[in-house]
Amino acid sequence: MADMLLNVEGVTKRFGGLTAVNGVTLEMRKGDLVSLIGPNGAGKTTLFNLITGQLTVTQGRVRFKGQDVTARSPEERARLGFGRTFQIAKTLTSMTTLENALVGAYHRHHDTRKAAERAMNCLEQVGLGRRAGVRAGLLTLSERRRLEIARALALGPDILMLDEVMAGLNPTEVDDIIHLIRALHAGGLTLLVIEHNLKVVRALGHRVMVVDFGTRIAEGDPETVLSDPRVIEAYLGKKYA
Amino acid sequence: MKKAETMTVSTFAAAKGRHAPARGLVTFRSSALQVILLSVVLLAATFLGREHSYVMNIVAYTFLFAGLATAWNIIGGFGGQFSLMHAVFFAIGGYTAMNLFKLGVNPWIALVPAMALAAGFAVIVSWPLFRLRGKFFGIATLAVAEMMLVLANYFKGLTGGSQGMSVPLKPGLQNMIFLDRFHYALLMLGYATVVLLIAAYVYRSRLGYFLQAVRDEQDAARSVGISITKVKLTGMALSAALTAAGGVLFAMYLRFVDPPTLLSITDIGVRFLLIALIGGIGTLFGPLIGALLIVPLEFTLRAYLADVVPGSHLIVLGGSLILCALFLKRGVVGLALDLMNRRKEASHG
Repeated sequence: MADMLLNVEGVTKRFGGLTAVNGVTLEMRKGDLVSLIGPNGAGKTTLFNLITGQLTVTQGRVRFKGQDVTARSPEERARLGFGRTFQIAKTLTSMTTLENALVGAYHRHHDTRKAAERAMNCLEQVGLGRRAGVRAGLLTLSERRRLEIARALALGPDILMLDEVMAGLNPTEVDDIIHLIRALHAGGLTLLVIEHNLKVVRALGHRVMVVDFGTRIAEGDPETVLSDPRVIEAYLGKKYA
Repeated sequence: MKKAETMTVSTFAAAKGRHAPARGLVTFRSSALQVILLSVVLLAATFLGREHSYVMNIVAYTFLFAGLATAWNIIGGFGGQFSLMHAVFFAIGGYTAMNLFKLGVNPWIALVPAMALAAGFAVIVSWPLFRLRGKFFGIATLAVAEMMLVLANYFKGLTGGSQGMSVPLKPGLQNMIFLDRFHYALLMLGYATVVLLIAAYVYRSRLGYFLQAVRDEQDAARSVGISITKVKLTGMALSAALTAAGGVLFAMYLRFVDPPTLLSITDIGVRFLLIALIGGIGTLFGPLIGALLIVPLEFTLRAYLADVVPGSHLIVLGGSLILCALFLKRGVVGLALDLMNRRKEASHG
């Protein structure tokens, strides 16, 4: 119990009559790597936003490092140790690549010089070191995705939550990011990854949680989960299940 | 292969990272040096024209508005909050100086309560207004400015109402009253330099980067633990305090203030924004460059065109503003920076 990091306890989110997330429970220990998958519109990103506080829950609780954070704002949760990326990269376009990472690094160092060093290290980690001085608005899609990761890493989070960081990237770029995720995990970081691409989920291994119509329909290791008839049905329809 | 390459890159960076200044980061020291160099050049230019009282008046206004637009730029440019209520902070400065002068307090000391009052007022008023975003925030601040103009006319005890207030001509450095306009030009240059140095410091500090992050993407800013409202309020308070300091200097220059002089939307409130817009909003030197271009142009146009067709200088100014808004979105300084970047990239590629 002591190393329990994140407890999502039966969270539900309703938008008017639509239930986007329905009583989802998820437990993560320190050092876990969990992939969250599900068809389009299943409620993955909504669940993500409930965990990071961008949305408030209708029901249920989120506990982090033993504290109830259900009512906390996203910025408070970030300071507690949530690092996240956005599905549509939210790049600070008028600032340089380094300055983007810097705003995250300030959380660790008040001093600009030290924060900049930290930011630079995070950029090197995601392979953006050479682009440090470029205005971030000029970066390519893949670079922006990596910059999102660098900015979140600069915070020094306890858990890193990646929302479809590989969507729209070419296979080489996807491989790069898989390498990066594995390296971060090997370094002891806890990760929750939303992924669409089942190949990637297999490559990452570890625990998988499947969501459909806002409810958790399966959880376990990739092989078992991906051969689960309910999961196949959710992805491909009843005929194939 | 690829992995090995990135590994060497990162170990290399870690090894020398401590000494190498991080790329893509302009330090405060280099910006401050630029500010001081520019000030020296402007000082020399001011000395050249010291005999001409008419020119010195224009120069004094130019430097004053350079400082004011730079102060506005802290929240309006770096923070992206298009405040149209900065005339109120300016007026708080002006009226504080006037009232305290009557009580025998000299304007140098009056700077302190003037700045504190403006900062306090800014925080109280902005708190609810910061719930509005973008142009809606701008409209709300415009309403505040209009309201304060009406109130300034009404509260005669503090403002002298529509008849205004004046202070007697008692020349002396301690009274901030000079017979020679050249001295006012120096005073205003000093003000502009101090505001620019503060803006340069903010721009290259945690507060400045947080303001820019809030301007670019609020959700991203929150996701790295930035409290949006706190950052905006801090920027607004600082900007308001510096604007109030300009109001004190302005009041002592004119030695007469009335509500339209201090609170006019078109002559004061919008002008800070216009100068910053033409020079380059969100850049450090944009407001200074904007003031150097616009204020003398305006005086000249008024002198030559107002006699021919009354009000035509405003048409020319308005026209140039529209052109800037359409074709120079990042102002003159933004254009220059873009051209420099393009050249740099061309020489690299």
